[in-house]
Parts: sequence; structure tokens; C-alpha cells
Amino acid sequence: MGRAGIASAAVTGIGTAVPEVTDVADLLGAEPLPATGDDPVRRLRGRGLRYKDRATKLALCAARVALVDAGLLVDDTLTVPAADVGVVVSTNLGNVDTVCDTVATIAKETYLGTSPMLLPATASNVTASWTAITFGLRGANLTLCNGPTSGLDAVHWARLLVASGRVEHVLVVGVEPANDPVRYLVDPADPAVRVLDGAAALVLESAAAVADRRVAALAEVGAYARRTTLEHAVSGVAAVDPRPVGLWLPPAGSDLEPSGASVDLTARFGECSGALGVLQCVAAVSWLDRNGFTNNTFGRSKADDVVLAAAGSGDFGGDDAAAALILGSAGGPADRVLERPGPKGVAR
Amino acid sequence: MSHLITGMGAVASTGPDLDSLFTALCAGRSGLAPLKGFVPDRFRAVNAYEIDDRAPGGGDEPLRATRWLEQAVAAAAKDAGLGEDLSDVPVLIGTTLRELRSVELSWRDDIDFDVRELHFGAMLRRRFGAAQTYTVANACSASLYALALGVDLLDLGAADTVVVAGTDTITESTYGLLDRCYPEAPDRVRPFDRNRRGMLQGDGAVALVLRRESDGPAGGTAYARVRSVAVNCDAHHPSAPNAASIAAAMRQAHERAGVRPADIDLLMLHGTGTGLNDEAEAEAVGTVFAGLDPTPWMTAVKSMIGHTAGASGLHSLLTAVRSMRVGVVPPILGLDDPIDEVRDFRLVRNEAVQVPGSLRTAQVDAFGFGGLNAVAVVENTGEKVA
Repeated sequence: MGRAGIASAAVTGIGTAVPEVTDVADLLGAEPLPATGDDPVRRLRGRGLRYKDRATKLALCAARVALVDAGLLVDDTLTVPAADVGVVVSTNLGNVDTVCDTVATIAKETYLGTSPMLLPATASNVTASWTAITFGLRGANLTLCNGPTSGLDAVHWARLLVASGRVEHVLVVGVEPANDPVRYLVDPADPAVRVLDGAAALVLESAAAVADRRVAALAEVGAYARRTTLEHAVSGVAAVDPRPVGLWLPPAGSDLEPSGASVDLTARFGECSGALGVLQCVAAVSWLDRNGFTNNTFGRSKADDVVLAAAGSGDFGGDDAAAALILGSAGGPADRVLERPGPKGVAR
Repeated sequence: MSHLITGMGAVASTGPDLDSLFTALCAGRSGLAPLKGFVPDRFRAVNAYEIDDRAPGGGDEPLRATRWLEQAVAAAAKDAGLGEDLSDVPVLIGTTLRELRSVELSWRDDIDFDVRELHFGAMLRRRFGAAQTYTVANACSASLYALALGVDLLDLGAADTVVVAGTDTITESTYGLLDRCYPEAPDRVRPFDRNRRGMLQGDGAVALVLRRESDGPAGGTAYARVRSVAVNCDAHHPSAPNAASIAAAMRQAHERAGVRPADIDLLMLHGTGTGLNDEAEAEAVGTVFAGLDPTPWMTAVKSMIGHTAGASGLHSLLTAVRSMRVGVVPPILGLDDPIDEVRDFRLVRNEAVQVPGSLRTAQVDAFGFGGLNAVAVVENTGEKVA
């Protein structure tokens, strides 16, 4: 049992599909990023793209990078049994474009104006569904649509799927698309409100799977709490894991300052909704993975420092809850690099 | 590890509670009615299994899935002796469509809706003080998938009591796209009938309270024992099911529960009345239960409450719990001419059967878009209702 009271899980791969981000180290910085860059979905090839929604395309891009990074996908082939790999997707607004476009069409042209190919995308699990189909992942498959905390909740549930023994490996994706219905829901009064158009992904695995596959753990997922207030969520994880916080990844508008450097990713990317928690975790891993990255704005992490990520405002911002999650360095000496398959290419 | 169901609640087109649901099912009384929620001339289909609780003459309303979930959770929590305080109790909600009907009304018809109500945590916080709430959007197996997660929380010692629920309302986008998909508009849901035309949606919500058996039922009643919940994913097609993967989920459920196919007395079929589901499910059941004569008793509640989507798995499960307690299995309504694949199945048709002997163990199926399969095994505790 780990510090959270539940067996910990290791992160073994990360990836992003965010136009502004060419390297995960770019996630951490003080300045807002210009909303420009190559659209990652241009990487996608193959049939059927026409009927996949924007969120699904972004998720597939980030998922591929993370799976390759973890060594679970080599030459488009899974390296582990398909039934052992689960999927957890976090998104709140991923399919609102399909839903809103369809009812507008029905009003104008009746049901005959719609395309039957869009039916699966009216259900909110469509992204997790295509992710499983695309990469052949046949384990437990979850979609968390849990409000602002959803991304951190998804990482927690991925860890629970591993701890319960249902799967050995889990692909976690947080994704939100930018489109008119999304902006309308985020802020009906501001049609130009900045929202993330992107996905972040990571692979979580059991300790046994990491050892069996002889891969390096990049970080460990630790204590988690979802509480009515941000203060309670943060104190909840700190009570379980008192290690010093080297990096604090707060929700928008937080006035809590636990310690260490602080980066509000929503100030850099806009409203991230269900993608935020996974994006935070990917940023945390890049900061913790001292073997992989040296050019972070905030320097190298100390061996015992952890990253504290929190999402959802809880009471102060009118959200139903706030969640907090701790990520720490992978166990063992820092120079214990086993085998690190997968390119550290663009947008890893 | 086994877990006890200690509280139950349900809302459907047949009535506002579990008693009215089970009574209607056993009486063969359906919730089918002419479509009321949407402007009817936009569609070819004319019926649905709605809960018609809108204000008279006022058009459709937002937040109805939330309202029914609140009713079902309140009923289950009260039944289990938890009262109104769920501040320390995880609540897992399975749903296909969340509050997307409210999004539709807001986007197209300018009806007020706050995006913070798109998931169900906001209501659960207000009403029950709950903070460990999780909206799991796992299509039409969602509430049974959520039950698997609830079982895991208890197994891992991460909670002592869990509320597992499901809720869905009919969205206009899904209703219209289903209408677009079928060659002929379905007039009703006719699982496993040769003349079935497809699925019609149903409104509804459902909730149960789950505790480790070793901890006892506390202030509730030990209605039934959850022996296992298996989950997997076809990774095959966004909407078409895969019989082999469904069979694998059934076998996994039996293995986890430590039962053989011959131990299953009652099988709650997913039975959507679509061409593809019913064929795939029949094939999987035929494979897993091959050689058994007679097969388990089988029924499909969607023939009377429609496809309640994310809520449907637990609607079937609570029906099974009631059936086992009273020894009565509701019929599949409208099953006049069964397809060849179910020829050897002991399907309950036309009217409910009083089962001689006892129903001890039930299997519950729930399958969803994206090939999301969940199969549960539940067992009667034999405890008398007070």
C-alpha cells in the first residue's frame, strides 16, 4: 500500500496534442502562450476522420504519443495483451458540438437533415470508444465527465483500475475542443473567451507491469482527495503525504499558496475544463522526470519534492468540489534508468 | 468479496418509485406513450417512454435527469438508513447523456442553463452534502460499469458505503439520429422479436446503496448480494456490438463470482430491440449457456420502460433483486415471434411467471456504444423484508 492507502501507480509515458505546445517542457512557464501553432490533428491519417469529432481527433493524437512513449505501442502494434489495457477519458464539453449542431439541424430540416454517422458522437463516451478501437485497447473503458475536477478524478480512477487488478496499464486522456457551443457554455457573455483546444495523455501502470516490461517509471501518482473546498482537498492530500511541495499547479483563481513554484495552466491556455487535471499531471511528470528534462523554467526538482495539482474551485468559485492530487518522483535512485523505449520526439 | 445491496430507489416512465416499476413490469404495463418532449413534426417516430412531469403547456424543461437522480438517490439512501447526509459516501452516477438535453435547450431555445449542472455533482452537493461524486458517462452500460467501480472501492477499503446510480433523459439529438438510422420507425421496443424495428429511449433514474457484506447492512436491509461485476470493451466498432467480447464479459462475471452458467437462475437481458444488439446478445448467451436445458429464465425490461440508457443496467438489476425476493419474473412485452437465435431460451413472454422453487442467482447484462460491456452476478439473500 502506498501513501494514499491504495497501491500507487507509475506514469510511464506522456503526450500532448495542443497547438501551442511542441514539447511538454513548454507547459510550464509564467507567460500566456500565443494561441498559434500547427494543428496536431493534421498528423492523423486513415479513413473515417470525417465523422470523428474534434475532441476525438485531439485525443487520438495525444494518446498515440503517450502509448509510444510508454513503449506500449511499437510500429502500431500493442506490446502487451489488449485486455490488460484500460482507457480513462476526461472531458466535459467534448461532444457538445455534435449535440448542438444536430438539434439546430433538426429544427431547420427535421431528422432527415441529420447524418446517421453522428449517432455515436451524441453519447459522451465517443472519444474513449474511438481511442479503444484505434489502438485495440480492450480493458475497462471509462469516461469521466465530472466538471472542473474531472481530469484529476480520471487519473485517480485509472490508479484504482490498476489497484483493483482489473487492468495492468491505463491510458488516461484529458481533452476539450474549442468551438462555438463550448465557448457559449463556458461563458455565454463572451463569444471570444479563451478555451483550450487540445488533449493531454499519460500511461499509468502497476509496479508489477513496470518491472515486467523493464521500463522506467517517470513519476508516481500519490494521494488524492475530492472535497467540498479547495482547502480541504489540499489539506486532505497533505495529511496523507507530507513531503514538501516543489511545484504547485492550482486551479484558476486560487489564492492558496502551499509552497514552491506555482503555475496556473489556465492562465496560459484558457479554460481547460475536463482536460486540466491530465494536463497538470503531464506537466508534473515533465518536471519530476529529472532524467528526461533539464530545461524546465523552474529548474530541476529535488529528490523528495512532490508536485501538488488541484482543480475545481470548490466553494470559493461555486463549483461542487475541488480535487487535489500529488505526484512524486518514481521510487528508487534517480539514475536507475532501465530501458526507455519510444522516441522523445515532438510533443512528447 | 461480496457486497450487500442495502437500499434501493428507481424512477421510470411507469411510475415514481421502485414499487410502481416492479408492479407495472409484472402486470405487463408499459410506459410507452406519444412523444411529448419535442416538436413532433420534426420526426418520423411518434412514441417514447417518457416521464411526463413537465409543467402543463410549458414545453420541455432543463435538469430533468438531475431531478430523477435526486429522487432515486434520496429513496435509496433513506431505504438504507443513510438519511440525507452523504458527505462521507462516494456517489457514482452512470449516464449516457448527462444533462445534454439541457445543453440543447440552452443552445437552440435560449432556456437558462448553467454549465456547472452538466454533471451531477452540483445537485448531489446541494441536496446531500456529497463531495466524492463521479459522473461516469459510459453509454448504455454506464450504471452497471459504475457498479463495478463501487465494488472496487469497497474491495480496496477506500469506502465502507457507496451509492451507485444511473440517470438519463431523452435528448432530441439522439432521438432524431436514431430515427434517421432505422429503416422503419420503431413504434415500441420489442426485444428478440422477428419484427423488431429498433430502440426507443426511456426516461429514468435508479440508485442503490452498497456495503461490504462483512460489515453488515447497518440501518438498511440486506436485499441482495453483489457477487461480481465484469467489465470490458470490444474495441471493435463505435455502435455495433461484438458477440465474442460480450461472451467474454459474461464468462469473466461468472469466474469472478465463482459460479457456473448452470447456477444462473434468472438472466436479465440487455435486449434493446435493435437488430444488432439482440443478435449479438443471443449469440453470446447461446455460447456461454450452451448445453443447458432448461436455460435460466430470461426477460428484458426495456419492452416496458424503453431504453433508459445509462440507467438501464441498474433498472434491470433492481428488477432482478425484486424478482428473486418474490419469485416472479416479469415478461418481455411484444415478443410474439422470437428470432431463431433465442429458440432454445426460456424467455418469459406475454405474462409474468411465478417460478416454482427459488430464484437464487441472477445475471444482469448491460452493453453500450463503443462496445462497453458490463455483466453483474447478484444473489438473493433470502432475508425477509420487514
